[in-house]
Amino acid sequence: MCEEMLPLLNVYLDGELHGIHLMHLEEHLVTCASCREELEQLRRLSDLLHALPTPQFIPVDRFVANLSLNLPRRSSNARPPRYAAWIWWLVPTGLVFAWFFVQTVLILSGTISLANATNLLGNATAWLSGGTQHTLWFDAMSSVLGSQAGSSPAAFSFLDQLSVFGANLLMQIFWQGVIVLLFWAWLAVWWISRRSQLVQSDASHQRS
Amino acid sequence: MAVNRNAEPELSFIQQAQNGDRDAFGGLVRRYYSDVVNVVYRLCGDSGLAEDTTQEAFLRAWVNLPSFHPQSSLRNWLYRIAVNAALDVLRRRSEDTAGGEKMQGLPDQAVGPETALIEKERVIFLQNAILSLPEACRRVLILREYGELTYQEIAQVLDIPLGTVMSRLNYARNCLRETLKEEWLQTENEYV
Repeated sequence: MCEEMLPLLNVYLDGELHGIHLMHLEEHLVTCASCREELEQLRRLSDLLHALPTPQFIPVDRFVANLSLNLPRRSSNARPPRYAAWIWWLVPTGLVFAWFFVQTVLILSGTISLANATNLLGNATAWLSGGTQHTLWFDAMSSVLGSQAGSSPAAFSFLDQLSVFGANLLMQIFWQGVIVLLFWAWLAVWWISRRSQLVQSDASHQRS
Repeated sequence: MAVNRNAEPELSFIQQAQNGDRDAFGGLVRRYYSDVVNVVYRLCGDSGLAEDTTQEAFLRAWVNLPSFHPQSSLRNWLYRIAVNAALDVLRRRSEDTAGGEKMQGLPDQAVGPETALIEKERVIFLQNAILSLPEACRRVLILREYGELTYQEIAQVLDIPLGTVMSRLNYARNCLRETLKEEWLQTENEYV
């Protein structure tokens, strides 16, 4: 018998030998009597195994009836409905849109404020500012200083516009921070739930 | 290799069963009961134990069904559960019994009592030879011979490499041939 052929004989017997290996073995079997005998013994073994009698098991209907009585409730393992997954992914999508919206609005607002302050576009954008924009400290200073404030209106107005621009910048940073925080919170919740799902799946895999 | 039998209705049954439909699960059990109980019986060597273990396997399948991917092969998934359940049962049982599960080979009633007795002894001998194989090799052999799985499917069910499937199968058959040598000669002499 050819020792190196024995594993191939098993694979051949099971119909799992293909291509060049199959051709090679079949050619070999034609010339090698001991391998043919070996293959015959393997076939006989397989026939012997298949010839083993099978006992009479309980009928399938009775088995199913018994099984149905013992099936546990499965509410905790129920799949979440499909729409829940959509809602879940709506959160980050919504946050990205909100971020774009806030960015656009604040950039436009800042640009217009700057244009008004420097009078770059003349009166073209004055109607957008909704009248004169002043900060609280400008109003307070105006009331305290009264006519004195009007003595240097240009410098005072410039400082006021600069302050409006700074307030816009702060607002921009604030809203971006809020959106980033919300996104991180969502990411943390997603990671925790995903981790628990993996742990559950692993546990059920081990149980099965 | 077993192909998806009535794949379309089966997919529908699986999805319904995943959503908690017990009747749909019953339909799946009807479809795979005989395959599963036969494999479990060959692993256990006892029909009563095989029925109990098969029930345990289907209960586990019901509980874990929501995590099953309907595109996978349900039969292979059930085999995986059944093999694990059978091994759990055998491990528990081996603590109680010293070794060697009993075989209930039924003699053919059509032949004479003496022939039937010889036949029964042969069956017991063969079944005990299977049961005496190392557990890892026995699983592979039974899934191949009685589960009729391909090497690839066995590798998936048992979560082992394809090369390991081949080597274990080779080892199991060699062991059986060694054990059955005398039995074999006897058979040949009978025919001569």
